[in-house]
Amino acid sequence: MTAKRNLKRFFAPRNVAVVGASATKGRPGRVVIENMRANGYAGNIYPVNPRGGRLLGMKVYKTIEDLPSGIDLAIVILAAQATPQAVRDCAARKIGSIVLVAGGFAEVDHAGEDLQEELARAAHETGVRVLGPNTAGHISTPADFTSSFFPLGKIPKGGISYVAQTGNFTGAMMKHIMSAENYGVARCIGLGNTVDIDETDVFEFLATDKHTDAIFFYLESLRRPRDFIEIARKVTPKKPVIMLKGGATPDGAAAALSHTASLGSDDRILDGALRQAGVVRIDEFSHLFLAAKAAAPMPVPAGNRVGFVSPSGAFIVHISDLCRQRLNLTFPNLTKKTMDRLKEISPPFIRLSNPVDIFPSATVHGMEYAYREAMEAVFKDPNVDAVVSIMILTKELGMPSLDFIPELAAKYPKKPLYISFSGDHACNEEAKAFLEPRGVPTFPLIEDAFKALDILVRAGQALKS
Amino acid sequence: MKTTGVKRLIQKALASGHGALSEYDSKRLLSAYGVPVTREKLVKTAAEAKKAADGLGYPVVLKGCAPDLLHKTEAGLVAVGLGSARDVTDAFKTLSGRAGPHFTGGYLVQEMVKGSRELMIGMTRDEQFGPSVMFGLGGIFTEVLEDVSFRLAPLTLTDARDMMNEIRATRILDAVRGMPRVDRAALARAIVGVGKAAADNPEIAEIDINPLIIAGAKPVAVDGLVILKAAGESK
Repeated sequence: MTAKRNLKRFFAPRNVAVVGASATKGRPGRVVIENMRANGYAGNIYPVNPRGGRLLGMKVYKTIEDLPSGIDLAIVILAAQATPQAVRDCAARKIGSIVLVAGGFAEVDHAGEDLQEELARAAHETGVRVLGPNTAGHISTPADFTSSFFPLGKIPKGGISYVAQTGNFTGAMMKHIMSAENYGVARCIGLGNTVDIDETDVFEFLATDKHTDAIFFYLESLRRPRDFIEIARKVTPKKPVIMLKGGATPDGAAAALSHTASLGSDDRILDGALRQAGVVRIDEFSHLFLAAKAAAPMPVPAGNRVGFVSPSGAFIVHISDLCRQRLNLTFPNLTKKTMDRLKEISPPFIRLSNPVDIFPSATVHGMEYAYREAMEAVFKDPNVDAVVSIMILTKELGMPSLDFIPELAAKYPKKPLYISFSGDHACNEEAKAFLEPRGVPTFPLIEDAFKALDILVRAGQALKS
Repeated sequence: MKTTGVKRLIQKALASGHGALSEYDSKRLLSAYGVPVTREKLVKTAAEAKKAADGLGYPVVLKGCAPDLLHKTEAGLVAVGLGSARDVTDAFKTLSGRAGPHFTGGYLVQEMVKGSRELMIGMTRDEQFGPSVMFGLGGIFTEVLEDVSFRLAPLTLTDARDMMNEIRATRILDAVRGMPRVDRAALARAIVGVGKAAADNPEIAEIDINPLIIAGAKPVAVDGLVILKAAGESK
């Protein structure tokens, strides 16, 4: 077996071959090329198809053997049976990385299992790095590159990287992020059946990747748990590592002699190991997006003390309950200076504290003034690590100018600011479309802002140590 | 006992074909790694038991003690709350009767530790992660509530404190119902010690310290079990 190459060229290939390129609109063998072009990939793209001819203005090569030299990566879109030979042919052409799209392997039947074995052998014997099979590919925005065959178009750049033990994270789920949210990604990998490149390989790359600010995992198993934990220990003091681990197995070791062994299920020990290594474990799929949108534009909170500006006593009661019962967030007492300022902006009969009930002030002074002054006072307070504000927006009240929100965020760059809403959905959408491109994440459901903050507070604890 | 003594203890048990250390040897081993254990004496006869009990002060506990004797309570080989010399000699007679003529072990005379908070510390070797240390509620609550937390060995004192904070019943370590706040530093040292015992001695397969009773503020291992790997077994 050849020593394994690192993933540098896998994420930044200089030239790319598409084996199984297709002229037919909507076919993976064409969409993948369209995706690369939409993202401004600067390298050469070499289509391969036995029919030859031309495709999207490019010469089509009839075989892998015919390809010119200098190709770093091949995207192989062939039927499962043809893939082991394709891997060997690519290796012979000195192509170091391969993305295998085809399904029909171990996830299907025994014959598929045998085929996957053969594929693994081809990868190991040639030393070629293989992603998949059974994956929608990967995304690497710093290289303007994607191997995804899912029609994506231009993928927004950012500091979030995803590693998912599912093929379609770089397909439908990426589409969700692109259409519903306003944050960008650095590297995204759908691992598929993992004959070669696994989560630990990618983790090792992302650990020192200067384009990656936060790493999100969706995993169902860990192939090399000790190595993974070793890397995690080194990474989590530098960047947030957040994981949804599915498929928790039932307790093992039923015949164990000791209590400890009988309680030592895979999941309990994994949970302890992840905590020990500073990995934040989450339990909701949607939080893979929620925490990412919070982390992408905002600093990681230095602590769990929240300054909360709310237009409703009911929200204050409910969110306080949520934070006390399920989240590790607190609402600290504010300094006298902050309290004095809040008194100044409120009607005289109002007694304020944190969470700040802003409604009386907004009634007297208007939304914009009340929110701006209260949020600034809370931002300035040394007892506060993060600010969350819920705004009531309706057409009838009139949309206030929201310019002050990104201004405040820019003025206090060490503390995260999250905005939530209550009121007219169309206004919420309008505010989101204004605020998020300006670096302020919004959360239409009021709990979500606090759930996201809780996740990043946990990540912040590892950053400190 | 020094940790070199620990190695000898383990080798001796393995050479005799034992799969586990006796409670007495388990505790000597754990004590060498900083786990506070009960004051106790290993005896063979009723007269020795009485003398040991006089020395420890009443009340005492009497237990059958042998390697591979994993379920003393179920075998009826534990007598607690023995308040006098008479109680001790009576209990000795009962226990030795139950143990039968083929019992080659000894008897452990032990101080009776008072405290209503029962915790546990343990260690198991996970197939994937290797030695893993557990902390949680002890006694009957261990299996009923499964309120435990794990860390991989070796672990730091901070890891140990995180484990204490992580169990659902973490407030049991605070000052509750007139009981003092638990000496968390001593507890953390014991947890770290169990991890070190596992890291130093690959022959140890599993450890159970259950219960670890909080006497006043201090943790004391009231029972201890060190299970060894069968010779040649490696995991």
